[in-house]
Amino acid sequence: MKRPIIIFTAVTKNWMRSRSGLFFSIMFPVMLLLVFGAIFGGGGGGSASTLFVQNLDRNSDGTTTQLSSAFVEALNSTKTFAIKDVPADVDAKVWARDNLGPLGGNIRIVMISKGFQGDVLNGTLKVRVGISYSLLNTTYQYFARSLNETEKMAYEQGLAQMQLYNETLPDTRTSLTLAFDASDQSAAVTKNIVISVANAFNYHLIGATSVIEFKEESVTSKRFGAVDYYLPGIIAAFIMTNGIIALTSNTTEFKRRGIIKRLSITPLTKFDWIIGNVLSQTLLSLMLTAIMIVVGWIVFSVQVIPDVLSILMIFLGSVMFSGLGMVLGGLVKDVEAASALGNAIAFPMMFLSGTYFPMEFMPSYLQSFSRVLPLFYFSEGLRYALIYRYTEGVFTNMAVVSALAVAFIILGSVVTRWKEK
Amino acid sequence: MTDMVVEVMSLVKQYGSLRAVDDVSFELYDGEVFAFLGPNGAGKTTTVEILECIRPLTSGAAKVFGYDVTKRDDVKEIKKRIGVLPQDFSALDKLTVKENIDLIGGMYEKKLDTSEVIKLLDLEDKTKEKFENLSGGLKQRVGVAAALVNDPELVFLDEPTTGLDPKARREVWSVIENLKKLGKTVFLTTHYMEEAQMLADRIAVINKGKIAVIGSTQDLISKYGGRKVLVIRRGGKKLADTLQDMYGSTLLNHGGDVIMKVDDVNEMWRALSTLTDMKMDKEIEIQTPTIEDVFLKVVGGRITEEGELK
Repeated sequence: MKRPIIIFTAVTKNWMRSRSGLFFSIMFPVMLLLVFGAIFGGGGGGSASTLFVQNLDRNSDGTTTQLSSAFVEALNSTKTFAIKDVPADVDAKVWARDNLGPLGGNIRIVMISKGFQGDVLNGTLKVRVGISYSLLNTTYQYFARSLNETEKMAYEQGLAQMQLYNETLPDTRTSLTLAFDASDQSAAVTKNIVISVANAFNYHLIGATSVIEFKEESVTSKRFGAVDYYLPGIIAAFIMTNGIIALTSNTTEFKRRGIIKRLSITPLTKFDWIIGNVLSQTLLSLMLTAIMIVVGWIVFSVQVIPDVLSILMIFLGSVMFSGLGMVLGGLVKDVEAASALGNAIAFPMMFLSGTYFPMEFMPSYLQSFSRVLPLFYFSEGLRYALIYRYTEGVFTNMAVVSALAVAFIILGSVVTRWKEK
Repeated sequence: MTDMVVEVMSLVKQYGSLRAVDDVSFELYDGEVFAFLGPNGAGKTTTVEILECIRPLTSGAAKVFGYDVTKRDDVKEIKKRIGVLPQDFSALDKLTVKENIDLIGGMYEKKLDTSEVIKLLDLEDKTKEKFENLSGGLKQRVGVAAALVNDPELVFLDEPTTGLDPKARREVWSVIENLKKLGKTVFLTTHYMEEAQMLADRIAVINKGKIAVIGSTQDLISKYGGRKVLVIRRGGKKLADTLQDMYGSTLLNHGGDVIMKVDDVNEMWRALSTLTDMKMDKEIEIQTPTIEDVFLKVVGGRITEEGELK
């Protein structure tokens, strides 16, 4: 074991003294965590998105009607939007485009049509009369037996007049128009918020309240934040990229410069060489995990604390991807090809393994494909270990990762050339 | 120089249709500096790497210290007893000189103290310097130090001065001379004529995978180098004609220099006496044949600075 330890010490020192190596192995993942955390962490402080509102429902003096103003105020109260009023006498789409500001952005316009207030009041009255009629009719049907003929006639007459009155009320529905660009991915969020506000507005006008109460609970024993859920994925993804891209490139570079050849002339065996490199990558992975968790804890108050199982999972995942890196490094001759191959394997795997976004977003054939990717098992196992504490799930994924780790190390030993041709 | 250290018999290395080493046989003896001299692609490195046990041979036999380079157990023994400076030596950039030497040394059961090797190579001032910050000559010295760290009996130096500036080249030559003084057997490959002639006890001229000639440096020069040459700078046609009439083998070059080939020392003295009698005040130069002349004679070309045959 002396020789692998010497190799481990040498390649680790060489890496630790390399600024670019440190940046891409440690700093870059930390930066990504900070960006992810800032976007998805839900910490607040995010800037509201611009929403243009053109209110065409005006009184004769040009002021906006009371109800349309109340609706705009309701939109504003969500604190999701920075509302920009569009003058009534302009083409809203053109005006919005010209008033986006120097940094541009997405154009989303809510247009309140003329007659909004009248239509809403009429519509509300019709709904209220309809509800009253329905209530009285139900009551009448229930108590009809106990009424005498005179009372029945009076009741039925009243109901008929009410129905007649309701029919005379105009069947008006007012409309809101939301205009947006079809390529605007997050317009759906704006649309849902506007619909929710409109529904709440409707309920309020007709005097109804929601009878279904919505509650949120965590499936985990601890109360984890969004960053806690991203953290295992980011750690897994970067242990993979460090193993596949960095180790493949390093191995190829050592090969190109004759360093491996020089070592092969000594009594060092290629197995010693592989083990030394794998150990170095494992140390890097453990350091990366520790730094990510500490940064996550300081900046986002993450709750995940690695236990023995998660450390074992990180160790095995690191061995697996280092082994894969050694396989690729053994197969590829030049550094450029190594980098290209590493990227070609790592990046699809990163996005298809459910590390950054749920696999449910993907079509079913891609989900099936994801299940043959090593990162899927590593990422799942790490998530089970760190977040859900689901031991059975950890062991299942750990078994797959261990088998792949052994397979890659053996394959790496086969393809690593220790002798010239 | 009696104990045989390396024995190569009818060695062949074939790559597809290319025969990189073609029926090569030679021996290396304890304590000598042996040079493989030849252009790029001659088969020097291939032969050396077969002896270093990192390249398989196609046919023939090669033994180092009596161990067969093709047998696994023998290879282990050979690796313990050889030191190697490979062509284009490189090391881990971010490690210091000492750390890089320690890395190689750590691979051996028996090794010299690193500081001893560093002192031997005069690298004490650079011990803590990172490899990436060293000049080409210093990097080669680190390579030699790494080659010596296991106290080898046989040291392979593959193109040790290629790409170095003249000053760095002389530094490396000095190191090789010291190795000889230490009693190491040195197998040197080079395409520099001057290097081979200055450092080697014996030289094998190799070209296109075959050894053209092999022998001690002086023997090769005597046998293949041709005659000594007397050059009288700007001697002129009259002098050229006079010497031609008296001794023959004289000609006039385009620069007006008189070139006279002499068979032995006596003839040279006679020619010099003649020139003295003629009260010549021209610059006289005596040129003795070199390995370059040997190479020109046996291979029929010269090697450029870049190692190409011309």
